[in-house]
Amino acid sequence: MESNKNFVLGVFDDEDVLLHAVEKVRGKGVKIHEVYSPFPVHGLDEALGYKKTRLPIAAFIFGMTGTSLALIMQIWMLGYDWPMIIGGKNFASLPPFIPVTFELTVLLSALGMVATFMIVSDMKPYKWPQQFDLRSTDDKHIMAIDLSTNKLAKADIGAILKDSGAQEVNDKNF
Amino acid sequence: MQVSSSLRESLITGGKTVGDVSEDICRQVEGKPTKLWWMAFGVSLVLLGFGVYTMSMTLWNGIGMWGLNKTVGWAWDITNFVWWVGIGHAGTLISAILLLFRQKWRMSINRAAEAMTIFAVICAATFPLIHMGRLWLGFYWALPLPNAFGSLWVNFNSPLLWDVFAISTYFTVSLVFWYIGLIPDFAVIRDRAVRMGNKTRATIYNALSFGWQGGAKTWMRYESVALILAGLSTPLVLSVHTIVSMDFATSVVPGWHTTIFPPYFVAGAIFSGFAMVLTLLLITRKVFKLEDYITIYHVELMNIIIIVTGSIVGIAYITEFFIAWYGQVPAEQYAFINRMFGPYWWAYWCMMTCNVISPQLFWFKKIRTSLVSTFVLSIVVNIGMWFERFVIIVSSLHRDYLPSSWSMFYPTMYDVGEYVLTFGFFFAAFLLFAKFFPVINMAEVKSIIKSSSEKKH
Amino acid sequence: MSITKKTYWKGIQQLKNDPAFVKHADKEFVDLGVENDPRHTRRDFLKMMGFSVAAASLAACEAPIRKAIPFVNKPIDADPSIPNYYASTYVNGGDYCSVVVKTREGRPIKIEGNTLSKVSMGGTNAQVEASVMSLYDNYRLRGPKKGNDNASWEDVDKEITAKLQEVAAANGQIRIVSNTILSPSTKAAIEQFKSQYPTASHVQYDQVSYYGMLKGNEASFGKAFIPSYDFAKAKLIVSVGADFLGTWLSPIEFTKQYSVNRKISEDNRTMSRHFQFETNLTLTGANADYRTMIKPSQQGLVVAQLYNLIAGKAGNATISAGMDKVNYLDKAAEELWANRGKALLVCGSNDKDVQVLVNGINAMLDSYGSTILADKAVNFRQGNDEAMAAFVADAEASRIGAVVFYNCNPVYDHPMGAQLGGALKNISLTVSTSYTEDETASMSAYKTPDHHYLESWNDFEPKANSFSLSQPAITPIFKTRQAQESLLMWAGQKVEYFSFVKNNWKNWYFNQSALGLGFQAFWDKCLYDGVLEVGSESGESFSFAGDVNGASSAVSANYKANNTGFEIALYESYGVGNGSQANNPLLQELPDPITKAVWDHYATISQKDAASLGVDNDAEGRTQYLNIAIGGKSVKLPALVQPGQTPGTIGIALGYGRTKVGKVAENLGQNAYPLIVMANGSLNYSVSTGVTPTFVDEPYQIAQTQIHQTYMGRSNVIQESVLSEFKKDPEAGREFTKITKWEEKVDPGTISMWKGHDYNNHHWGMSIDLNSCTGCGACIVACNVENNVALVGKQEVINRREMHWLRIDRYYSSDAADISDYEALEHASENPEVVFQPMLCQHCNNAPCETVCPVAATTHSTEGLNQMTYNRCIGTRYCANNCPYKVRRFNWFKYHDNQQFYEVNPSMNTDLGRMVLNPDVTVRSRGVMEKCSFCVQRIQSGKLTAKREKRKLKDGDVVTACQASCTSGAIVFGDMNDSESQISKLLQITRDEKRPNSSDKQIGNPRAYRVLEEIGVKPNIFYLTKIKNKDVTNA
Repeated sequence: MESNKNFVLGVFDDEDVLLHAVEKVRGKGVKIHEVYSPFPVHGLDEALGYKKTRLPIAAFIFGMTGTSLALIMQIWMLGYDWPMIIGGKNFASLPPFIPVTFELTVLLSALGMVATFMIVSDMKPYKWPQQFDLRSTDDKHIMAIDLSTNKLAKADIGAILKDSGAQEVNDKNF
Repeated sequence: MQVSSSLRESLITGGKTVGDVSEDICRQVEGKPTKLWWMAFGVSLVLLGFGVYTMSMTLWNGIGMWGLNKTVGWAWDITNFVWWVGIGHAGTLISAILLLFRQKWRMSINRAAEAMTIFAVICAATFPLIHMGRLWLGFYWALPLPNAFGSLWVNFNSPLLWDVFAISTYFTVSLVFWYIGLIPDFAVIRDRAVRMGNKTRATIYNALSFGWQGGAKTWMRYESVALILAGLSTPLVLSVHTIVSMDFATSVVPGWHTTIFPPYFVAGAIFSGFAMVLTLLLITRKVFKLEDYITIYHVELMNIIIIVTGSIVGIAYITEFFIAWYGQVPAEQYAFINRMFGPYWWAYWCMMTCNVISPQLFWFKKIRTSLVSTFVLSIVVNIGMWFERFVIIVSSLHRDYLPSSWSMFYPTMYDVGEYVLTFGFFFAAFLLFAKFFPVINMAEVKSIIKSSSEKKH
Repeated sequence: MSITKKTYWKGIQQLKNDPAFVKHADKEFVDLGVENDPRHTRRDFLKMMGFSVAAASLAACEAPIRKAIPFVNKPIDADPSIPNYYASTYVNGGDYCSVVVKTREGRPIKIEGNTLSKVSMGGTNAQVEASVMSLYDNYRLRGPKKGNDNASWEDVDKEITAKLQEVAAANGQIRIVSNTILSPSTKAAIEQFKSQYPTASHVQYDQVSYYGMLKGNEASFGKAFIPSYDFAKAKLIVSVGADFLGTWLSPIEFTKQYSVNRKISEDNRTMSRHFQFETNLTLTGANADYRTMIKPSQQGLVVAQLYNLIAGKAGNATISAGMDKVNYLDKAAEELWANRGKALLVCGSNDKDVQVLVNGINAMLDSYGSTILADKAVNFRQGNDEAMAAFVADAEASRIGAVVFYNCNPVYDHPMGAQLGGALKNISLTVSTSYTEDETASMSAYKTPDHHYLESWNDFEPKANSFSLSQPAITPIFKTRQAQESLLMWAGQKVEYFSFVKNNWKNWYFNQSALGLGFQAFWDKCLYDGVLEVGSESGESFSFAGDVNGASSAVSANYKANNTGFEIALYESYGVGNGSQANNPLLQELPDPITKAVWDHYATISQKDAASLGVDNDAEGRTQYLNIAIGGKSVKLPALVQPGQTPGTIGIALGYGRTKVGKVAENLGQNAYPLIVMANGSLNYSVSTGVTPTFVDEPYQIAQTQIHQTYMGRSNVIQESVLSEFKKDPEAGREFTKITKWEEKVDPGTISMWKGHDYNNHHWGMSIDLNSCTGCGACIVACNVENNVALVGKQEVINRREMHWLRIDRYYSSDAADISDYEALEHASENPEVVFQPMLCQHCNNAPCETVCPVAATTHSTEGLNQMTYNRCIGTRYCANNCPYKVRRFNWFKYHDNQQFYEVNPSMNTDLGRMVLNPDVTVRSRGVMEKCSFCVQRIQSGKLTAKREKRKLKDGDVVTACQASCTSGAIVFGDMNDSESQISKLLQITRDEKRPNSSDKQIGNPRAYRVLEEIGVKPNIFYLTKIKNKDVTNA
């Protein structure tokens, strides 16, 4: 845990201003800890230089697992484990197996991906987040800058934030 | 700089700021429930009680309590099932498909719509359960579980089993989708609670929000999750009613055995789903004073979709008849003539007027944009859709191949009771939702406030 | 010490050298009684179980008790789960059927026909099949009663004998009243009784009298008798009001004979032709080729007219009576004459003059000696109306000192029953031997219950020189006693009736039958066969010497050609018959073959009259009442609109309106016997004067198992034609549906995604000949009994939830011009043609029900059976919805151990009734689906027997219950893989060389079709086209 950490917070109330601010601040070589917004701001992740998430791949893999599981289950159960004559059909006949296969694909893909998401972004019901500014879920965008990871002095960073459009500049210590 | 389109009407009116959004939406969660709310809740509990009584009687004495017979093995039970499933389509459809199409107007309605979906699907699921002769065994025998009876597996050829998978998958995925959407909004309520110093609420809603913080990285992942879920839900939502329709389409019963069913059922589902969404939203909007978020423009857009799907359904009806005539199968031809002029003619014509004729009124902008007429018609449409399922199921079964077995179906109090049961549950659940959950997706609405609501500087 | 010295003791007792133990130390099992102890016989076991069941059922009155009967000592021939079969005889009054009784663990559970019998020839009917249920009737008397109190046989005997002697001493009249008695030994017993009490005389009467016929024959041949008829020899049959396939004289025998000439094939393209002139639409009329509706008041004249027409051709003198403009009568005469020597005229009239004319006609047609065997007299009906009437008169005038009612119920089923009932209290001694406390018994001072026939010894002579025996299949359940024994006892002889019968046979028949074996062997053989044929026909010749002119004038006096008033025609219902078995729920829930009504009594009226009276009888059986006034009397019955009912007539069934019969039938309907009046010296079963029906606007719903009357011109369901067409082309009437594909039209059977499965062992299939099925319904009852099918009662039938696995669809023809005129198709014609179609699970190879079951509770066996796994079923009812034949039945309620069904379904709700259940078939629980299993339990036991005897299963080892009960042999069941089997031959199955055991069999028989061929479910049941012997098709 980041104890005795000192942060400088830039508070923005307009996403466009925020976007430019992010570029400015990073342009000044300041490392941004994270930006907290009440709603997704498009382009922010690029601006912060985040890599694209690999969740889609996870989803695909989980989906494929579902497909194969479903097919194996059905063919084994009706075709091999206990074959029964049903309506004169073949024991393991593909066409009737399609719906269940599809459903299981979707199910595993969805659940698997969401679970992955929860894990990678460390979300759990009993966890209290470190809140820099309670307004960050209401109507303010909070840009948090960790002093320990920056060479620049607190004041300078504050100045940079100010002239890149921050309404207020606060500091927060844990 | 201020971007507001002159082509489109604005989605959010009343010059709301991002702050107003949190305020307006959270108010009803934080405040005490109104008298109106209590009354509505009480009524739904009464309905629920009656339903529970009739259901227990049925479970105790047997399915014989219903009006079914040797010829008509399904009637109200499966009619209600299909009806509810249909209604359960709108939510996910709105969120998923409209999200893929980047239809921003969905944002203020999808939350409620999804909630409705969840509850509707639960209602739907009760019917396949209680319609079983031996529920106490059926509820788990219908699953492919290893069991004490040796290698005794389920029959994957059966559409009913497909239903089991389709409905449960649809329910789970919709639930997840809905909840993912709720997480950031729970966080909003949590933080407001912290500020108000309401510890308990803060703890509860923090737990509900999984400790959401709203960092840019999380938002990025969050968005791709939402997008993929939407991508998964879209075929899913189409598959569900397709599979439900296969209960009938894959059978040999004249009037059921129809290849047009899948698309036609899906259209019907969207049709009834949107109608139900409208019914509920128009009430919610009034009760929780959300006129600025759920605008006439929303209503109108949904009405347009109702015209479209309603017309598709109408065409499907006509196509069925054409094929029956063209197919030259006597039993088939009789089945459809019997629908129109047989003992159940009233059900058929009720369906026709409600589903095909009434939605056409929405061609008139006046009607389309009038809340009253929309409210009335949305209910009419759902009555019509109930009769559609009743017509398909009962009027096909009661006179099929061998005239010797032809007979009628007369519902009993217990048939009705189980239907009432689901209504009781549905409204009770929806009221609870509307009280304790943010009925509008704040995060999304906030994201469009700027572009869509004209700020007054 | 060496290892060999070591002893291992069996138990602590051995160690202690317990003497009791040492005694049996060599026995492996001690006192478990597994070894057969000769001192314990089957009878002991039966006694024991009889007692315990009696105890159980008595105890059941207070508290529910389950009694298990331990095999402490295993009886010799009662092995658990191994059925025993006993040849016996069903007799109910004059109704006769030689049967084989199947018992399990000593309980009779099924009745089947005895093929050795020359009389009933292995046939049965619904009442015979159901009679096993009446053995376990909860309403049976548990023992002798004096007044309303139970008494001991000793006391009862003492008192009765004393009273009899007292009456005899006072020279008071003593009567023994009975229905027709077929048993020589019983008659002997009665003779002994009479010799003991000189003032005693024996009065016989029949619920449905044939006295007029007896007298007619007396007038014609100088001897009061009823001849044998042989419909098998008749190429041309004319029946005037005789329902000989349903109720007339000896229906089982006649059905057997009749069906011989209704079976046709490519090679034999001839069949008998059958004209029917009748009032109500009867089973026989439904099977006729030409049917004419006449009023009862015209019956005599129709016969007279026929006489004139025939006489004209024969060049004999004609008679004065007659009427013209009777549909088809001239044609009938024409063909009768053309078929002289192989023609037969029967008439249901009980008027001696009419019968004289009938005999005259038959004489002119040389029927005697060919289709009528006068020298083989039948004893089925010996009732004497006049004697009975005299007896009632005497009783009313208190000229009778004592009366014994031998298994008869005149208070209920005699027209003057009410008067008799009133008179009984003037009689100092009244005894009833009836085994239930019926109307007469309850009014008699002493009830000395007889055994049920399945508990009795007896012998019978249904026809001259044809004999049969009945033997107990179970030890008497209650403290009852054989009535003959009682009579002998009161006559002062204490003999066991068994030895009495045995003795008689020794004296009467043993010597005659020059078999060259000892009597015991002879007796054992007779018991084993159940029947005995002695010598041949007497060969005495009869020449017709009736006074036709006298008869003619009487006829013209008694009949009217055009009576304008309403008339009533009384008939025996097919289910409860004359009412003696009314308490049998199997019969109450047997759908009437024609009206398809159950649990109900109604007045059938024509469509015309319904309109004029204002009766509105909708498809759901909802109707209103008619109040029918006849002279002083009147009955109020719901009206049932019946196509084929002669306009201006009302049909009313006998056998209902019982008041003392038990919960099942109590106060169900009205008693119609009092409507019968004496006319021309015999009872007349129609009322032609003073009948005024008045419409009573009270709603009533009749329970019918089929509420849609026509087959809507669906030729994929019923495929029928007429003989003239069939002669040209044996495929006449066949419908060859084709599926249109892009290129060409193809046969539905050829389209499939799957190649199907092979049935390498057996492939069970069934063929049902629509032409020989008479629709009698015996198979329905047989199926119910064999498969423990629940009975559900009237309300549940109204809810359309009857459980019958096998039903008989009855379709009327309509007057619709073309098959798209649905409105007209729904309405039956005024005098419709009728076709019966037995409908049961079709065991489809591509069964739609199997595909849709989510839990695979119904699957296909490797022998082509569609099998239902009750234990797996969760009751979604999807299979029933998807069954094109609607033969699946759902357990809507718990039909067993459920107060709601206590009365209507005793076999699953009372300890006594439960004894009839077939242990090989599960009683289905609530919420599961059930249906015909092709009697899989019989298939299995057949296979096991073959296996035990180390041989291949051969055709005939497996016979389904419906097949066994089918008197007309319309149902053929067997292995379609076995090229030698009857079904393979009948259907002319040819097998594909590449896949000889494939589920798709090539059917060669041009008449064979599958119902709903076009949906491609490939049933294993084939129907043979219905061919009516008419000259022209009327589409």
